[in-house]
Amino acid sequence: MKRPTLAGAFVALALVAAACGGDGDGGADGESIEISGSSTVEPITALVAEDFSAANSGVAVSVEGPGTGDGFARFCNGETDISDASRPIKDSEAADCADNGVSYVELHVATDGIAVITSAANTAVACLDFNDMYALVGPEAEGFDNWNDADALGAELGASNAPYPAAPLVITAPGEESGTYDTFVELVIEDIAGDRGQEEATRVDYEASGNDNVIVQGISGNDTSLGWVGYAFFAENTDVLKAIEVDGGAGCVAPSEASIASFEYPLSRPLYIYVNTDKAAEKPVLADFVDFYLSEAGLASVAEAGYVDLPAADIESTKSAWSSR
Amino acid sequence: MAALPTTADVVATNLKRRGFDMAGTVLSTVLLLTLLASLGILVTLLVDVFTGGIGVLADRGWSFVTDPLSPTPAKAGVLQGIMGSIALTAIVVLVAFPVGVGAAAYLEEYARDTRFTRFVTANIRNLAGVPSIVYGLLGLAVFVKLAGSLTGGRTIIAGGLTLAVLVLPIMIITASEALRAVPDELRQASMGVGATKWETIRHQVLPVALPAILTGTVLTIARAFGESAPLLLAGAVLSSFFTSADGVSLFERLADEKYTALPIIVFNWARQPQEEFRALTAAAIVVLLVLLLAINAAAIVLRDRFERT
Repeated sequence: MKRPTLAGAFVALALVAAACGGDGDGGADGESIEISGSSTVEPITALVAEDFSAANSGVAVSVEGPGTGDGFARFCNGETDISDASRPIKDSEAADCADNGVSYVELHVATDGIAVITSAANTAVACLDFNDMYALVGPEAEGFDNWNDADALGAELGASNAPYPAAPLVITAPGEESGTYDTFVELVIEDIAGDRGQEEATRVDYEASGNDNVIVQGISGNDTSLGWVGYAFFAENTDVLKAIEVDGGAGCVAPSEASIASFEYPLSRPLYIYVNTDKAAEKPVLADFVDFYLSEAGLASVAEAGYVDLPAADIESTKSAWSSR
Repeated sequence: MAALPTTADVVATNLKRRGFDMAGTVLSTVLLLTLLASLGILVTLLVDVFTGGIGVLADRGWSFVTDPLSPTPAKAGVLQGIMGSIALTAIVVLVAFPVGVGAAAYLEEYARDTRFTRFVTANIRNLAGVPSIVYGLLGLAVFVKLAGSLTGGRTIIAGGLTLAVLVLPIMIITASEALRAVPDELRQASMGVGATKWETIRHQVLPVALPAILTGTVLTIARAFGESAPLLLAGAVLSSFFTSADGVSLFERLADEKYTALPIIVFNWARQPQEEFRALTAAAIVVLLVLLLAINAAAIVLRDRFERT
């Protein structure tokens, strides 16, 4: 047998590599669509993209979901063509886009609700209003280990459901990086905190996770838990979770597809895609993609991904926003 | 002054002692328990993953391995992850193996034992313990941004180079240890019959050290194969869906803008809400483990070949 040498060893090790090496440049530029942004919207866009590329093979489409904020950072840097968003663009982000000469159109494509959740085994709490939620998870609630620790604060705020049960309060919810957290703070905490001169944030001593499955496990694992999560995640896990009805001033409303689509449920939020209009003019394939997204076949993905369809009137206004870009 | 017991006395006492060796038995039991505990964790993990994933693998068969990513659980496969992971591993081996062995050979065979070389060695050991996310930031800054014109930006080449840098310290340390284990007599004998330093290293030292170096390479590959955090920063696609343009060759596709890797797919699927993705996650972990075993087996076979000759 030939005596193996070092070179032989190296060649053998590199054998796989040789088959896979090779330089290339960054793909077909005209025929690619890059999408990033909200992980909440990602499932809708991914389904649309899959259907689109089934009909348009040869177009490189990629859909990522790092989060709305990260998505806008890349979008306003001109790196992506479409940015998924679970909230409207912030002024600071819009200023970034303007600085970099990125012009865009905002398209409302679906509606999501935030479900305030507890364990399915929790029978003590059925409905909370914004004051209740502020008393339990607001910045002044820090250190409350039991629901009834919030009694005094709830009474002071005039919360409709205080006093609360004497039971451990275990909170599991999305962390600050999440669009769901932003929306929750904006809808529930911001006004009350502003009035009271407090920081517009939740308490920091809760179990924060970016992984919705971790939240579902944390909530279902404790009988007197409290948290909030996107409606799609709640709807997937109704066997272990219970949605607490929310009182936005007009009585308790349970989250459901109907109450979210009509925005009757106080914690519902619109979902958007932002399209770079200059790139849409440059790349016909991008305009085709958005056309397809807003078609009946494209918007069918909204329900498939577990979100709530837009009413027909809203679909029309989205379409006219797109056509008048 | 009391006389110290002589060795003979101690031996005699020990030999005369009868009865149960309590301390010894307790110690061996404790040691056995530590072994069983770590085995138990491993077995639990494997059983959990296999029971979770076997349904998907049985239902889908090869199509799970040969299908691309999809947001629809019933259609989702790991092909893109497998291709990405194999290509990344290949780049890691291509870069880290020659550079790592070269650096180790210099440190062990050529460098004088100065304060500077000791400083370098200590730092290589420190680098081996740096969290992988830090290498991800390095990869983003250097390979994606700074050298973007060479690597093409967020490409698999940038990702592979990032992982190569990540495993380089481990590669150097294991190769150094392998070279240090080669008896000095071998070097002296070789030099004694007139071989130059290079000939000695090339024909005597490296062949003897090679099996151990290859073992280190196996560990290196395993580390690179399982990493996800640095790749997320260095540009791997965290996505339920992406496609490549048509009409590009396999080579171009790998060096194209978009790539992902098996650990990234596992991470992405684990955070999806649908129950079906939990089974897919387990199945993807099974695929990852099988591939890892295959790569390790190949390296072990290679090592044994060199050991026998």
